[in-house]
Amino acid sequence: MNEGKGRALIETRELKKFFYTPQGTLHAVDGVNIRIDKGCTLGVVGESGCGKSTLGRAILRLHEPTSGEIYFDGDDLMKYDKKKLREARKEMQMIFQDPYSSINPRMSVYELIAEPIIINKVCRGKAEIGKKVAELMETVGLAERLTGAYPHELDGGRRQRIGVARALSLDPKFIVCDEPVSALDVSIQAQILNLLMDLQDSMHLTYMFITHDLSVVKHISDEIAVMYLGMCVERAPTNELFRNPTHPYTKALLSAIPIPSLEMRHKEIQVIKGEITSPINPKPGCRFAPRCPLATDECVGHDIEFREISPGHFVSCIHADK
Amino acid sequence: MADKLLEIKDLEVIYQSDFETVHAVNGVSFSIERGQTMGLVGETGAGKTTTSLAILRLLPDRTGKVLGGSIEFDGRSLLDLKESEMREIRGEKISMIFQDPMTALNPILRVGDQIYEALELHNTEKKTTEELHKRVDEMFEMVGIPPYRKREYPHQFSGGMKQRVIIAMALACEPELLIADEPTTALDVTIQAQVLMMMRELKERLGTAMIMITHDLGIVAQTCDTVAVMYAGSIIEYGTLEDIFSKEKNHHPYTEGLFASIPNLEEETDRLHPIEGLMPDPTNLPTGCRFSPRCPKCMEICKTTPPPEWEENGHRIACHLFKKEVQ
Repeated sequence: MNEGKGRALIETRELKKFFYTPQGTLHAVDGVNIRIDKGCTLGVVGESGCGKSTLGRAILRLHEPTSGEIYFDGDDLMKYDKKKLREARKEMQMIFQDPYSSINPRMSVYELIAEPIIINKVCRGKAEIGKKVAELMETVGLAERLTGAYPHELDGGRRQRIGVARALSLDPKFIVCDEPVSALDVSIQAQILNLLMDLQDSMHLTYMFITHDLSVVKHISDEIAVMYLGMCVERAPTNELFRNPTHPYTKALLSAIPIPSLEMRHKEIQVIKGEITSPINPKPGCRFAPRCPLATDECVGHDIEFREISPGHFVSCIHADK
Repeated sequence: MADKLLEIKDLEVIYQSDFETVHAVNGVSFSIERGQTMGLVGETGAGKTTTSLAILRLLPDRTGKVLGGSIEFDGRSLLDLKESEMREIRGEKISMIFQDPMTALNPILRVGDQIYEALELHNTEKKTTEELHKRVDEMFEMVGIPPYRKREYPHQFSGGMKQRVIIAMALACEPELLIADEPTTALDVTIQAQVLMMMRELKERLGTAMIMITHDLGIVAQTCDTVAVMYAGSIIEYGTLEDIFSKEKNHHPYTEGLFASIPNLEEETDRLHPIEGLMPDPTNLPTGCRFSPRCPKCMEICKTTPPPEWEENGHRIACHLFKKEVQ
């Protein structure tokens, strides 16, 4: 397998990101501990508003975290000054969700892919930049004739390929993929997923893959973190999580996926009542408790420990083993 | 069998601009019986939404045109009705749930008033104001929203709640046919499960027939009785849920491609098998079979001649592969 596997590339400790709003403090990310090994993919799932994207951005310090530590290859990113951070950012890139709004409509494919190369002075001279752009376009599967095309001439899948090429242009080690396929049709989605997995193999990339689509996350991830209202409620290797979901929220999430097969048609869906509550000034205790079928008085009032119930399988629920 | 509620034959719709003609729907035929749910599946630009807009005669005035075909609803030809007659059918007999709950509601009207409006317009039984208000309350209860919230505005509701309001509005007049255009795409999975469950219950209680437009094959498996798969404006495969989902039966290569593109939760797969290439440009459709440029089983004949329809017990596939079995 990939060299260096088994060593953590990204690790966060008690990472927090609060937003201050007129209504109170919004706990977007509240004490998240994750760890991504080199060459692995961590899938982050959760409903809209649970803080997945904020977590991804906070790790790259695109949102300045409120508190906590972020280790990248052993170094604490929080201690970096602007200049050092800028250097480090070359190694950490992001692919954004919406290929329709994340690229400048007035730049051609060539300009879009060359932009990060020029800004970071990776290559000098027109010829060298041109060569690098051509290489990248080939890597992500964009035809050479599209070099001068503008985004409006391209479909979603090709635009997302530009996003991938831009992220790859600085030879990063770590890429945060923020819902890179959710705006695409299924057949195109599969093309992009295959591309990302091939690139991971050939370039030894490490991904943090943010999505709300559980079938996608199962396909691409080695490990999955389930988030609910800013907190990571369960973390486990992919197969373990799907075989043995422990947190009531994870269970509900898994049972809610419609499965395209006849046999599963009449499966009992565990419908959870209510909707995600407000992340503004949350009370201590389990945040899922108001919707949880197992909730008791013990669930509220104090912080719930994020404990390891089997090797590599963490969960924050006091009823987990019952 | 049961009587047909809606029958569409050879429907053809184009969008025309000064420069080009978009062939959005090319000869679509299907029928729906009372109380039945049909899934209409396909990728963006396959013509799913255009088909449903044509049924309701809501195509954009200047650009959209129905070129040919017939739409028969409950024995009446919808395409020949006067606009005033059509208005009586829309909302009362056929109603539609639109894709995006965030934009389908009027932001400056209270949600209760928006439902009241629909009831008032179709008040054929001359009910009093109080009766209508009572009906609004009933509708809210049916979709699981406490009636006191009817005095609130759309921005005070979350996405899932807004979608419920829209469903309540669509069902307020107890339509015979409900067209649901991607009703849950904008929602989270847990909320999606709630909404689908509710729609299924309501369908059973009210006996409404439904066209479920979606690109999620999982939703189709859970809710539909029959399925039509659309590609580039035509239905390329049609059959019962069993016909489409069972692996032993014949399938159109596009249907097979669709299934291979979805990551499977049950089985381990290393790689997905996407359909190569892209949807054809609807202003310039390929001759012969429209799927031929992307089809892994493409033959010479596919590039020149439109495929014949193969049929077996109502399971229809438009593909050259199965031609021999007809003879």
